[in-house]
Order: sequence, then C-alpha cells, then structure tokens
Amino acid sequence: MKRFFMILAAALLILSEPLTVSAKEILPYDTYNYDYRGKAVSTPAAYNPEKTVFGENLSCGSFKNPKDMFITDDGTIYIADTGNNRIVVLNSDMEVLQIIDSFVNNDKKDTFNSPSGVCYTEDGELYIADTNNKRVIALDGSTNLVKIIRDPRSEVLSSDFDFVPLKVSVDYAGRVYVIASNVYQGIMAFNQESEFMGYFGTIHVRITLAQKFWRLFSTKEQRAKQLQYIPTEFTGLDIDDEGFVYATNLDSTGGQAIRMLNPKGIDVIQKNHNGVRALGGDIRFRMGGDYQGASEIVDVKIRDGGIYSLLDCNRGRIFSYDSEGNLLYIFGGMGTQEGTFSQPVAIEAYQDLIYVLDASRNAIFVFEPTSYGSNINQAVGLRYNGDETKAVAVWKKVLEMDSNNEMAYSGIGKAYLSSGENKKAMYYLKMGVNKEYYSIAYKRYRNELLRENLSWILTAILVGIILLRVSRRIIKSRIRRIRS
Amino acid sequence: MKKDKIQFMFYTLTHPVDGFYEIRHRGKGSIGLSLLTVFFCGIAYCINKRYAGFIVNAADTRNVNSLLYMFTIFVLFFLFCIGNWSVTCLMNGEGRMQDIITATGYALLPIPLLFFPATLLSQIVTADEQMFYYLLINLSILWGALLVILSNMIIHNYTLTKEISTLLLTVAAMLIILFIILLFYSMFRQMAEFIKSIYTELIFRV
Repeated sequence: MKRFFMILAAALLILSEPLTVSAKEILPYDTYNYDYRGKAVSTPAAYNPEKTVFGENLSCGSFKNPKDMFITDDGTIYIADTGNNRIVVLNSDMEVLQIIDSFVNNDKKDTFNSPSGVCYTEDGELYIADTNNKRVIALDGSTNLVKIIRDPRSEVLSSDFDFVPLKVSVDYAGRVYVIASNVYQGIMAFNQESEFMGYFGTIHVRITLAQKFWRLFSTKEQRAKQLQYIPTEFTGLDIDDEGFVYATNLDSTGGQAIRMLNPKGIDVIQKNHNGVRALGGDIRFRMGGDYQGASEIVDVKIRDGGIYSLLDCNRGRIFSYDSEGNLLYIFGGMGTQEGTFSQPVAIEAYQDLIYVLDASRNAIFVFEPTSYGSNINQAVGLRYNGDETKAVAVWKKVLEMDSNNEMAYSGIGKAYLSSGENKKAMYYLKMGVNKEYYSIAYKRYRNELLRENLSWILTAILVGIILLRVSRRIIKSRIRRIRS
Repeated sequence: MKKDKIQFMFYTLTHPVDGFYEIRHRGKGSIGLSLLTVFFCGIAYCINKRYAGFIVNAADTRNVNSLLYMFTIFVLFFLFCIGNWSVTCLMNGEGRMQDIITATGYALLPIPLLFFPATLLSQIVTADEQMFYYLLINLSILWGALLVILSNMIIHNYTLTKEISTLLLTVAAMLIILFIILLFYSMFRQMAEFIKSIYTELIFRV
C-alpha cells in the first residue's frame, strides 16, 4: 500500500510539471549525419532558426526573387535583389544602409537589369553580375563606377559568344571569377585589366561504362537524339583568404559537388580518408518519388576554422564539412515554416551565424548555433589551428550531447595519439571507426609492448628451442631402446 | 577406420586427383566428415565476421548474424549438390549423390583451415601488413574453388571443358530450384489463405 501511494505521488509530481516545450526544441527539419557505413544517424541540432527577415519588414520594401547575397567581414549584407533591379545593403542588425539601383557611367545614369551576383572585395569595391545587361560592374563604396567587364574576346571564345554572368567573386589579387550562363568549360577568369584570361577549373566529363556500352550499339541518328554528355555547370563560388576558389557544381551521383581550385585551376579538395568518400551532400537518397535525386548544391560559404557549408536547393539542407572533408552536421529543410526554405539560392556566414537567402520566399533566414553546433565548430577550429590537445575537452562536451559522434571520438583519439597515449587513442579511434589512425596507434602500442616485454619473449623462445631439442633427443633414445 | 578417413580427408587436400578418385571408386570418403567440414566452414566464416581485427573487418559487428550465415552456407551447399546432381545425371556424369556431397564437402576444407589462422593473424596486423591477412583469405577461397572444380571433374569423369560447362549449368539449375521453391512457397501461402478464408466463412455462416 505504501508503495502504491509512493508511485501515485511520483505520477502526480510528473504530471504537475508544466508540459511546456519551447518553440526551438521542435525544429521544422531533421538533423542527422552519416556514420562510417554511410547510414543516416540522428544527431542533436547544430543550428536553430533564429529569425527570418522579409523585405516588407525593412525600409527597403519587399525583395523580388533575390538571387545572391554577400556578407563582408564587418557584417554588412549585400543582397542582389534581382527582380527589383537593385542591390540592397543591410548592416548586421538588419537595418537598411543603402539601396543601390543606379550608378554613374560616363556622366550618365545607368541602371541594372536583373543583377544576380554580388561580391564585395577587401579593397572596398562592389562587384555586381549585371546579368541581363551582360556585364560585370565594379563600383566603389559610393556607387562610382570603377570598371566594367563586358564582351570578353579571346581565341577560345566563339565570335558570337554571349556573356551572361550569373555569379561573381574576386580574389585578393583582384582577379575576377565569373560563372556565366551556358558556359560548360569552367569558371571565366578575368585579370585586373578586365581581360579574359581563360577558363578555370574545367570539370571533365566522365562517361560510365554502361553509357559507353549503349553508345556502342546505337546508330548515328540515335546518338544525335541522345542526351549530350556535357560537363556540369558551376553553380556558386567563394574564395578563401589564401586565394583558393571553392566552387559548387551539380553532381547527379552525389559524389562531389564542391571543388577547391588552386591558382592553376586544379581541384585540390580533401576528401575524408574514412568511410564514404563523398562531398556531394546527401549520401543516401531515393531515385524516385518525393524528394528524389542527389543534393543540388547551389552555393558554398567558407567559414572559420576551415569549415565550409554547402547549400542544397533540392531538399533545402545545409551540409557543413571540415577542411579534411568530414561531414560535421546537417540541418535545414524544405517547407513553409520558419527556418525552412522553398528555393534557397545563397548561403553566407557572419560570426557564428549562418544566413540563407530564399529566392521564392523573398527572405533571409538566420540560423544560430546550438551548444552542440558551436562546440563542434570550436573543436574543428582548434584542430585546424593545430591545437589538438585543447580540442579534447571540447570534443568530450560534444560526446556528452551525442555519444554517436564519430568525429568527436576520432578527434579525441588523434589528440591522444599525438600525446603518446596509444592505448587510449586506440579505444577512441575504434569508437570513431577511424581505421587509418587506429592502425598507427596500434602499431605504436604493439611496438611498446614488444619493447617492454622483449626479454620475456626472447627467454621464452630460447627455452622453447632447448625444450624441443631435449625432448626430441629423449624420444629418439627411447625409440632406440624399444627397437633394441 | 575413422582415423583413416580423417587422414584421407587431408590427403585429398594435397592430392586431389588421386584422392577424389578413391572417394568415387573405393569408398574412402565419408558423408559425415563432409558435412562436418561444411559446418566448420560456417563456423570459420562467422568467427571471421565477428572477431576479425578492427583494421580488416569492415562489417558492423552489431549486425553480424551467425545463424543466418550458417544457414546460408548450408543452403548453398545443398543447392549446389542437388543442382549438380540434376545436371550431371543428364550429362553422363558418373558420380552418385553421395559422391557429390562427399567430394564437395572435402573440397571446402581449405576454407576453415586458413580462415582460422587468418582471423588470428588479423588481431595483430596493422594497415601496412593487412595484405598478409588478405593473402590467406584469398588463398583459401582460390584453393577451395580449385578443389571444387577438380573434385567434380574427377567424380564425374569429365574433361575440363565439359566440367566448366556443367558448373555453369549447375548455377542455372540452382537458380531454377530457388525459383521453384519460391513459386511453391507463394502458391502454398495462397492456398493456406484460401483454406483459412473458407474456414472463417464457415464459422460465420454455420
């Protein structure tokens, strides 16, 4: 009876607890990550939607089909408001600083026509891809024209080449990289004098064996009607401090949707050494029905600590990778709730916030990291800067929140490995399914064991040999005795 | 007598041509030993999947189902024997069912023999040395495959070309058997459903 009352009291206590759940605990999207075997595993949310900014709520009025966004180091936000033919400049508190809808060109007022790319350089120049005017414009801070890039002429371009710039980015040396419509050869690179230097980072077409096989049997007419094998177009780009161009492209296989191009235009991106070696967003996806196909990565943002985030416009997800190609966390989704997109086009970051521009909902979505997300960011940053031992404490915090986090186990394991604690390193690297580093740890541990116990092992071998000899001699002599 | 048979099993390992001939014509094999070998094959495979070292073992140890592996291995073994028997009956094969089971079982002996040491070795290899592990595994499979081909060839008194075509037909026969089993399974299920529905109908009406 006493027990019954105790249970009753406990039940009452639980029920009387206010059943309130804050809005942020119910996220409108799934947060997950892929484990070593490529299976999707639920994780805590790394980022929560903080706020949504509509043009209506600002003094500039509603956006119309905005296509690009750029955030400078001091938090100034440039939005290419494509449908309204203007560039809207906001500060980090989302107040309108400036609306650029015209500039002075040869003492005459000139306007934009569907500007769909924007980039602000360290020298204070604003580059705008003025798409339908078929030119790229560079303005200084006060909307004075600096230069215009138009009608590129080169031997590699046909004489009737139509220059329709979509996205623009500028590196520290003033080289301008332009993604243009219907250009499959790569990114168009221009030097400081606005001369076309050539194509950059060409993606080569890969024909699969099956495609080759069917081509073998098809007639000329059939071949002409077949899909042409053309390289995929680049979709978005960002340039890091060292001048490496990160460019996204569509990959229908989900294999590689991001390239890190060195100054020669060669892809030098690191893929993870462990597990599924893919840099294309979702690893598993359906080939039919709702939400089918690979992720369609449309933009990339390089963030602190070598982390870069990819924006998928197919399922509205944001994939963040570290500089070694490990998938850190995934969040975001499609929908009409707060924090979900319908046509995400651009991703930017300022401090620890992530900004996503939606061309269909005409809004900017701001995401703030949870403690889980910021701990991962911090740990990855520490490793990136070579401070692995400090990262251990942070990774342990991550493990408290997500005991399945292979990255955290690997991170701790690597730190123990470099500090020489091989046994501990082996445990953590095994939990993190990191075969490569586990093997190193195991090798060192094995050597340690051998070195410590060498005297025992050698003695055992010696004794063994002697015993063998003696026993053989005894057996032989016995046999001889029996025979005689 | 039993000891002789066990010794003879190891003799066929290194002298397959003589060994399998004697199994066919002088009755030196034993079905029990053959099935024991298949059983050990299953054991060796399960242990390898579950306990092989972390560096070489990509299988998710949480999802290793030993019973399923064991069952699959036995089913495959008997499917092969029945399929082979059905084909060789029509193709002038000299082997009887008991010869096929004995010889095929004996031919699988390299698999448990090498899988166990390979699993042990996998505990102490690093990534640079894992090729020794894979050497053992691949060697056992190649050796086993070679012995299966030879055993079949000798007990049926075939030439090599005929043997290979027979093996291909055996695979086809195995698939046909599987297909028929599935067909019967679905048919009997439908029949059971039918009888069940008649029963419920009767219960409600009468």
